Amino acid sequence: MIRLQEVSKVYDGATVAVSDVSLDIPKGEFVFLVGPSGSGKSTLIRLMLRQELPSEGAIWVAGKQTTKLPSWKVPLLRRSLGTVFQDFKLLPNKTVYENVSFALEVIGRPKHVIRNQVPQVLKLVGLATKADRLPTQLSGGEQQRVSIARAFVNRPLIILADEPTGNLDPATSVGIMRLLDRINRTGTTVVMATHDHAIVDAMRRRVIALERGKVVRDQTRGAYETADEAPGEI
Amino acid sequence: MRFQYLLGQAFANLKRNLLIVFAAVVAVLVMLTLVFGTIVLRWSIDQDIGRWDDNVRVIAFLSDDLALEEIDALQQDIQGWEQVDGIEYFSKAEALDEFRELFADQQSLVDVVEEDPSILPASLRIRPGAAADYSAITDRLVVIPGIREVSAADEAIDALVARSERLRTFAFWIVVVLGGAAVVLIANTIRIAIFARRDEIGIMKLVGAGNWFVRIPFFLEGIMEGFVGAVLAVALVWGVSGSIAELFSTSTDPGALTVPVDFLIRNGLLILGFGAGTGLLGSAFGMWGFLRD
Repeated sequence: MIRLQEVSKVYDGATVAVSDVSLDIPKGEFVFLVGPSGSGKSTLIRLMLRQELPSEGAIWVAGKQTTKLPSWKVPLLRRSLGTVFQDFKLLPNKTVYENVSFALEVIGRPKHVIRNQVPQVLKLVGLATKADRLPTQLSGGEQQRVSIARAFVNRPLIILADEPTGNLDPATSVGIMRLLDRINRTGTTVVMATHDHAIVDAMRRRVIALERGKVVRDQTRGAYETADEAPGEI
Repeated sequence: MRFQYLLGQAFANLKRNLLIVFAAVVAVLVMLTLVFGTIVLRWSIDQDIGRWDDNVRVIAFLSDDLALEEIDALQQDIQGWEQVDGIEYFSKAEALDEFRELFADQQSLVDVVEEDPSILPASLRIRPGAAADYSAITDRLVVIPGIREVSAADEAIDALVARSERLRTFAFWIVVVLGGAAVVLIANTIRIAIFARRDEIGIMKLVGAGNWFVRIPFFLEGIMEGFVGAVLAVALVWGVSGSIAELFSTSTDPGALTVPVDFLIRNGLLILGFGAGTGLLGSAFGMWGFLRD
């Protein structure tokens, strides 16, 4: 579903953000990208989203080689991806319902599809009763649920999440992780960049650890750190 | 529904920056008012210049009893004069056509001539090598038998021709300077609109909205700004077109100076297109380097 082949990203010819990374993420997998700030997690997410192109190497996402994709085809690639960010990126003047339906409107989905899909996905994230609220009237966890609903409403093949729990307290984070886990069980590939030890250790999924732009560990059912000895369960 | 959405976005953008949109529309309005006004003014001057086009400065009207061979010989002779640059024969039929055109809005005159076409003589139209040579040519022509009358462009006509040309230059610089200002102002409104909607655009790009879907509202916004300015300019100039036409006219007959409606429509449409084009160009400049993926 996602493949990186000897990918490097160098900014301004000097700052090395990602260095010679090769990855293969099959369909339906749940992958954590872990590592300290500046280790290249977010750059990898941006490369997968094709918000940036690598300085070297090739990338395949959802069956397309994004490094060779002409820019007019990028929107079509993005339609098979859902994205979730630390800062939610909701539109403050639109209601919960409108924030989600907006994602379908701007890619030209017909009205009857929108009327059908949006309530369904709001129900999935547990916000069916708050469809008319504005984002400012919601808690942080609820806002992140809206952004997950928006990412998932078009049934993407892949969800890319960059620190989705970064702004949330631990209890709320657990709820968000349950939601992402549920979405993963529908067959959606999930790639999540995080530095939340507790979550990674509790979920026990594939862990790709980065340091200074290099993959230093790639482990199925891994923990945040190799020496970690206190796995929990969600 | 999608078009409605795009148009709605364009109107929302316009409302958000009302003040700077106003400035952009006024710039287009001023530019196109001057351009359209100049077009009307040149029309009125050209009415006066009429047959003095193409550097023709001397017209020798021929007697009706002159045979074609005689005319031919005369033409050859005059062509040989050192002051003469060129000469053309203008038949009675051509004279009638020209008369119909020049006096199209005075049917009574046309009627008289059509009843008796012999009123209009054939003529030789002469282009002097230098504009100042017309008096020398005239002096030589008047003594030739078979030439009924000689009519020469005087300095007033020369001045009118020069004025018409100056107006063309003036209109050109108006377009360059004010057109440039209008494009920059429109580009500015587009930049502001993009900035105001940057979060929304970011999300649109993330969820896979097509590039043109993102751009079209901004193009519509620019086109509307240019178009509204052009509509106001056309309305304004149309309203006072009579006064503009009389501005420099030497004609004493006010009826001759009614600017024909089809002329106004034809050039008005051109101005509207020009306004919309200015808006399109402004939008393109405003989006330059923005709204990439």
